[in-house]
Amino acid sequence: MKLYFTILIFFTAFAASAGTKISGIVTDQKGEAVPGSNVYIKGSYDGTSSDVNGGFSFETDLSGKQVLMVQALGFKPQETVIECNGQTLELKIKLSGSINLLTAVTITAGAMEAGDEKKSVVLKPLDIVTTSGAMGDITGALLTLPGTSTVGNDGRLFVRGGDASETSIFIDGLQVGNAYGSTASNVPTRNRFSANLFRGSFFSTGGYSAEYGQALSSALALSTVNLPLRSQGDVSIMSVGGGYTQTLTGKQNALTASANYYNLAPYQSLVKQDFDWEKSPESWDSEISLRHKWGNAANGKAGFIKAYFHTEGNRMTIWQKIPGDNGRGDRIQLRNRYSYSNVSFRHSGKKDWFFYGGLAFSHNSDALKRNADPLRRTNQLAHAKIVAVKDFSPRFSLKNGLEWFVKAYSETMTDVNRTRNYTDHQLNHFAEATYYFSNRLIMVAGVRSGHSSLAEQVWMTPRFSVAWKLDHQGQFSFAAGKFKQLPEEKIRVAQNNLQNTAATHYILNYFIVNNNRTFRAESFYKIYDHLVTYDDAAGNYSNFSQNGSGYARGMDFFYRDRKSIKGTDFWITYSFVDSKRKYAAYETLVQPSFAPKHNGSIVVKHFASALKSQLGTSWSWNSGYPFSNPNRTGEMQQKTKMYSDLSISWSYLPRPDIILHVACSNVLGRNNVFGYRYALQPDESGAYIGLPVGQGAKRFAFAALFITISRDKNANQLNNL
Amino acid sequence: MNKLTFIIAVLLLAVLSVKAQDSPFQKIMKKEIGKINKADSLSQFQQSANAFSRIAELNPTEWQPLYYQALACTFQGMNHKLTPDKKDEALAKAEELVKKAEAISADNSEIIALKGFITMAKVSADPAGRGQSLSGQALAEFGRSLAIDSKNPRALALMAQMEAGIARFFGSGTEKACSLAKQSMAIFAAQDEEALTAAMKPTWGKRIAESMSKSCE
Repeated sequence: MKLYFTILIFFTAFAASAGTKISGIVTDQKGEAVPGSNVYIKGSYDGTSSDVNGGFSFETDLSGKQVLMVQALGFKPQETVIECNGQTLELKIKLSGSINLLTAVTITAGAMEAGDEKKSVVLKPLDIVTTSGAMGDITGALLTLPGTSTVGNDGRLFVRGGDASETSIFIDGLQVGNAYGSTASNVPTRNRFSANLFRGSFFSTGGYSAEYGQALSSALALSTVNLPLRSQGDVSIMSVGGGYTQTLTGKQNALTASANYYNLAPYQSLVKQDFDWEKSPESWDSEISLRHKWGNAANGKAGFIKAYFHTEGNRMTIWQKIPGDNGRGDRIQLRNRYSYSNVSFRHSGKKDWFFYGGLAFSHNSDALKRNADPLRRTNQLAHAKIVAVKDFSPRFSLKNGLEWFVKAYSETMTDVNRTRNYTDHQLNHFAEATYYFSNRLIMVAGVRSGHSSLAEQVWMTPRFSVAWKLDHQGQFSFAAGKFKQLPEEKIRVAQNNLQNTAATHYILNYFIVNNNRTFRAESFYKIYDHLVTYDDAAGNYSNFSQNGSGYARGMDFFYRDRKSIKGTDFWITYSFVDSKRKYAAYETLVQPSFAPKHNGSIVVKHFASALKSQLGTSWSWNSGYPFSNPNRTGEMQQKTKMYSDLSISWSYLPRPDIILHVACSNVLGRNNVFGYRYALQPDESGAYIGLPVGQGAKRFAFAALFITISRDKNANQLNNL
Repeated sequence: MNKLTFIIAVLLLAVLSVKAQDSPFQKIMKKEIGKINKADSLSQFQQSANAFSRIAELNPTEWQPLYYQALACTFQGMNHKLTPDKKDEALAKAEELVKKAEAISADNSEIIALKGFITMAKVSADPAGRGQSLSGQALAEFGRSLAIDSKNPRALALMAQMEAGIARFFGSGTEKACSLAKQSMAIFAAQDEEALTAAMKPTWGKRIAESMSKSCE
């Protein structure tokens, strides 16, 4: 019996004597308390959390040398060796900060992102579809952002005094050739790709990463939806056509196939058109996209492969009046066939390696007939890319990429069997280092080099950017770089040995996002060099040289607010561009026709729950387009009246799976003029007769019904964005 | 006297040996699960998260500690005292943990339901900005969870909440939401909480189901 007691007493005594009390305080480097940190002995369950004042205290039965681990969100884990011998330990732990990519500073100079996750986002993927006035066109939505100019007779993206060819477009990192539909001159085009395909975009108006090249002004990188949520069928019935998309999803893969047909003839027969259509635009397209993922990032290895195929055909015939001639004018007939395929992959491997890349091919063929003269144009672009990124530490990562482009272009006058063509192979390498000095200071430096077989030229362009986060939420970034671009196809085919044109960018940006309000201000200076100049005799170019130059400078502002007015989301943009250039057929340094000085837009979206509707309006405005009037001396001496367009839209969701959408552009019916065309010869009185370049119709109205068929009835077409 | 002491000693030993059947892992898990089920403040959830993080480190092949750590982070991310940035930070941590848990236990109805819960928390951190894009994702996640285990009361209750939101928006009937809430309540009522906790199985969510069924009455 005594024995029992002895044992019992012995055990309790032992337990009491073996306990070591560990207490102390956790602070950051400045001595501020770090509450909620995890303090424990490595390899055991013994531990606790620091309290509001950073203090902690716990006991352990372990003895001897032990490692005390202290972890807290936003700090580097810290290990301290301690000796547990039954005596109370008093410790002072000072943690040093770690890089937290979620809240750390990001480079916002020149960049505008659309996405769901990041802080530096200005648009949501959904905005591209729901911005009224954009009519579902990606370009249309981006034109409401700062740094862009609406050029109504063109429809493409014009960025900061640059022409449309200065913007390169990428899908999942791979370049897209002929991203816009082929069209006749002064008839606006659209982006060929449906906005529903993309879950995010990165739109840079300058100073962009060494990853992108062959673009003097701007890069637009679109990323496609990863795995769709569910299997569903989407029917669209529109005033201009219809289509069907079927999505099938598995656990690790998905297939989407779609087909659409558009014909503007019925609409244009009902609503008076200012363009003289013989055959209204008609098109079809079909797409297949396959996605497959593997692994789990938590296991160290995971990846994604996407394959996307798009093919389409378009046709139209239009009559365009000749200034000074009373007849119907020139008859322009256009038939277009276009295909794009893109296979891309992403793979994150062990030891902080990350790989991505892919292959893309675009093929565009235009059969153009101007009156009796047929012309066949074929443009092909192949792009192969492989990139390796290594994170050496949370602070430092290095990206290296290799790219190969084949660009082939040909023009054939089929009646006389005369062909001009060229093929160019371009090899590019880029390297870019990112370094976080702290959560508040980041620097990115890169260099991109290239070689063109046709131009027989080697080039190297440095890029640099830095961003500094202030004490409050705001941050400054600065970016600078050199950019090269070979001239447009229609020029290169006439003169094969043309070299790179060049631009240098300097950008200073301030960005603040706080509680659903975003403000962005940016000033820029862009210098153009080696621009191509030529003589233009009614579309026949000759006498090429690369002595052109120019500049663009200005500033722009963006404010978005989703908080101040209940249920309402709006943004306001103002861009000032002072640009002059001597290029193309310009003889002097002048403001180009596509660069209005003052540009602005207001976009408002209001969610009316009682009406189950989203009501939208957008107003886009600029101070007018310069144009040359041959009746006066000099060039670009005149300016059109200001441009203004007020659009409205209404989306009605009677049920979760049905969307009824109605929209109308230019509701005020303003007669916008984008420039003037003049007769080549003066009339009897010695004056050149001019004709305004205007809109295809006063207004464009659009109605559509989107129905989604899925097993749970809550799905609709916007779910995947 | 002697006999009595003997009996007491034997009883004590018996109790001790029953307790000893639980591994240290199970023991500490039970203790911490008990704590998180009672936690209702930011610091208590942080303490739970830290405790489960310590357990996860020692038991890298078990999904439960990661699951509960993620759950603690999710509750933090839903606390209205936090700024939107801090909420996102906590929810990003929760997402990271739940991915790790999924890597250990794939096709786990509970883990997938938690994923949906995190997505819901992300929506509630910024309803205007994320509602349209993420509520579909949350619905799909609850759907996947229920496809694996149609009797998961948490997935049912959360799905009921989502359905109620949709019904409110479209002014349609709440029958679907209420029937889900009812199913969830029935399962919660029938569950043996102690047995589930002993098996380290999740038991939380009853309050969500209760408030849902109350709004149905």
